[in-house]
Amino acid sequence: MGKQMKRSSTMRQTAYLAADRGWLKQAAIRRHAGTAAIAALLLAAPLALATAAPPGAATQVFDPITHKWVDYDRKKALKYYAAHKEVPEAFRMQMVKFRTAEVPGTIIIDGNQHFLYLVQPNQMAMRYGIGVGREGFGWAGIVRVGRISEWPTWTPPAEMVARDPKAAPFASGMPGGPDNPLGARALYLYEGDHDTIYRIHGTPEPWTIGLDVSSGCIRMNNKDIIDLASRVNVGAKVIVLMQGAALYKGV
Amino acid sequence: MSRTEIFAGRGHRLAVGAVLLGAIFPVACVSAPPPPPPPEQMSRTAAKTAPADLQLLCANAAAKASGLKADKILPVSSNLIDSKTFQVDLDAGGKKTSCLVDADGNIKSVQPL
Repeated sequence: MGKQMKRSSTMRQTAYLAADRGWLKQAAIRRHAGTAAIAALLLAAPLALATAAPPGAATQVFDPITHKWVDYDRKKALKYYAAHKEVPEAFRMQMVKFRTAEVPGTIIIDGNQHFLYLVQPNQMAMRYGIGVGREGFGWAGIVRVGRISEWPTWTPPAEMVARDPKAAPFASGMPGGPDNPLGARALYLYEGDHDTIYRIHGTPEPWTIGLDVSSGCIRMNNKDIIDLASRVNVGAKVIVLMQGAALYKGV
Repeated sequence: MSRTEIFAGRGHRLAVGAVLLGAIFPVACVSAPPPPPPPEQMSRTAAKTAPADLQLLCANAAAKASGLKADKILPVSSNLIDSKTFQVDLDAGGKKTSCLVDADGNIKSVQPL
């Protein structure tokens, strides 16, 4: 998508800036304060519309071609991934500024914004896009990485087997592989020595990154979970932030 | 033609031009797209929660204020209260605490609820 979108975006910006700088605008503003005020109002209206996220829209992404925020649901996510072979830019791995007292190696999950941060030195963090628990399945708490597994076996918990007919055939475990719901790596989250049953793991459905889709686990693209697992040590602190979610016991 | 008449003529033409431009300019404004956000800000949700780092700065400040270990203090909700300030509510071992932090990471206050 990259080059075409960027080029189009740059052209639109250039056109906008040219109009913005033009003598026509300056003349109008200088000589017609009233017209300028109307223009300012007209300018403000679409900006206000563009900056206010409508209630009920769980996730929105910025479309660099149309310069509009668009709702990002499962259907649109699948369509986007089919067209671009990757998730929207915001959900791709990137280094960002992160002001924190947490030590490097700490994992911080922002479930509301669908980001996982791995704290780095010098007030920076590696940020990854994630998929999180759908309504009623989110949680918040402070846990730790109890163990890390490559191409893990997936064993659905008994309540999932009872709830989801697709899980039933794998009640005794599904071997690791590209179709396994845990993907390429799993970081098992523990509280003390107790397995919480929650994991940070890969997924065979990369388009679900950025959405509220899981049963409480944190899912990442296989490429990203492989990168994360290579940087994280067993014992690393994991802070899960999720507004309105139940607190994991012990916190 | 006198100097006054020349200026009057110019003024008339400028006024007409400005009016025409005034009519065109709003159209240009409406159709011009806003500049795109930086790549790391190209997603958002309806919930205007505080950035994760600011929430944790509040947790750290609450830990210092209460004497509790930071591991026992968790941000549970947050919202934008003005253009530059977030309120972060914290669970500190069952006790509720409220923190105000600005977008630059400066803690404004930490108070029990």
